[in-house]
Amino acid sequence: MKEVEKVFIGGLKEELMEDKVIDESQLAPGFAEEIKKYGGKDVMTCLQCGNCTGVCPISLKIDYKTRNIIKCCQFGLKKYILSTRWVCATCYRCYEHCPADLNPAEIMIALRHIAVREGIIPPFVKTAATNLVKYGQSVRPDEEIDKIRRELGLKPVHTHDPSFKSVIREIQVLVHASKYDKLIGIQEEVKV
Amino acid sequence: MINPSNSYLYFFGCVIPNRYPGIEYAVRWVTGKDGFNLDVKDSQEFSCCPVPGIFYSTDKDTWLLLASRNLVLAQDERRQILTVCNGCLASLLKATEYLQEPKSMGKVNRVLAQIGKKYTGVPVRTEGKRRVFEPVKVRHYVELMVKDFGLDAIKEKTMHPLKNIRVAVHYGCHYLRPTEHATFEDPNDPVMIDNIVKACGATSVDYEDRLDCCGAGGGVRSHVVDLANALTLDKCAKISTAGADCIVTGCPFCLLQFDNAQKSLSKDGIPVMHVAQLQALAMGIDPISLGFDTHHVSAHSFLRKLKGY
Ligand code: SF4
Ligand code: SF4
Repeated sequence: MKEVEKVFIGGLKEELMEDKVIDESQLAPGFAEEIKKYGGKDVMTCLQCGNCTGVCPISLKIDYKTRNIIKCCQFGLKKYILSTRWVCATCYRCYEHCPADLNPAEIMIALRHIAVREGIIPPFVKTAATNLVKYGQSVRPDEEIDKIRRELGLKPVHTHDPSFKSVIREIQVLVHASKYDKLIGIQEEVKV
Repeated sequence: MINPSNSYLYFFGCVIPNRYPGIEYAVRWVTGKDGFNLDVKDSQEFSCCPVPGIFYSTDKDTWLLLASRNLVLAQDERRQILTVCNGCLASLLKATEYLQEPKSMGKVNRVLAQIGKKYTGVPVRTEGKRRVFEPVKVRHYVELMVKDFGLDAIKEKTMHPLKNIRVAVHYGCHYLRPTEHATFEDPNDPVMIDNIVKACGATSVDYEDRLDCCGAGGGVRSHVVDLANALTLDKCAKISTAGADCIVTGCPFCLLQFDNAQKSLSKDGIPVMHVAQLQALAMGIDPISLGFDTHHVSAHSFLRKLKGY
């Protein structure tokens, strides 16, 4: 994988590719199809023009280049892609500037779908999903803030009310029906 | 002027009630009887929108189910949803688009039946024997203010024009893009928040790369906070160069990001507030009601300038 990174992270260097740094054992056939299954468009239509990288706020900062990710998708370098950090801000700038109408942002989202199904689940996803199943909201309640709410004369947050339990049960039914609890490994036991 | 048949349900989401209650206070006050007197009420059953950076990112089916559950609540009340957050707007609006597909609506309804709910959209008329439905309307606070009330009305209600205040407006990505959502303004040249700022008597300052991302979206803040903060501080430096007294946004998550990223600065940061808080100030609210003490960057300098000393 080291060599592959050298080729792809900093930019595409054709001469290294001719040295056959990537052999077939590293490629996942049907990766483009898998991306389509999760709502991405056909990565094979990418022109490798680099517009997406040019407008991407994250690409400006770190070694994450949108175009290179798409190139890896074309090759089927699934293992490499899934191990890159989860850093797309879903700002959709690339989408606005892509001449192939590929919507790279949605490709990144499809890649996340694939990653969690391979068991690569960032901890914050688990936390937010667990909060939702527990509290009906994705952030944890905060007692300090509840105190300030009282001082301001605001009613308590409705999700903290005992009557909200019935909503939480509804959420649990939905999360269970879509098997999201299993997929993410939600820590709170889902009682249906 | 506002169509009297328009009625709304507040959708405050997660960040505002649990982190920035002052925004909630401001929105209630501006839309309430001391302000624009909107026909709006609360729902006791709304959950998280759900947050797109988590749910839309990892399982679209679950995302759509949870969003649809919220939409059904508004549908059954025959009310529009009033969001105060770009994330809630993007998530719920996108869900109404997905539900326009009969196949995905059917799939969602088969599961919603387990909790006794059904999404149809809102019936608007009958054609022969057939009822015609429209998607549940999802609105953003900013767009509602400008489109339904208008800038003249906002100006009229400005009791205390914020004359000497220089504002840097931050729109936030999910207010602008994907562009098919942002049908209410030109995503490459948005003006609505700037116009509200001006109607409040303040000056909206231009600055470099004003439409740039805050850096937090898509889980970046939660995943690699240093990266998110680096983007934010870049933007703050540009705002600082333009000599702004505060940053005003329509999104509590962008606000949270600007507010938290500036903690690492050695000098005082630039105060950040929601456009509803700025509007409430112009309408004469006592700043104590705006919960600025829950903001990390102190609003002190800003409030001092406002009072003129
Ligand atoms: S902008 Fe579109 S066509 Fe160009 S490199 Fe990026 S994804 Fe490919
Ligand atoms: S959506 Fe993601 S990949 Fe596209 S420009 Fe924004 S941060 Fe970059």
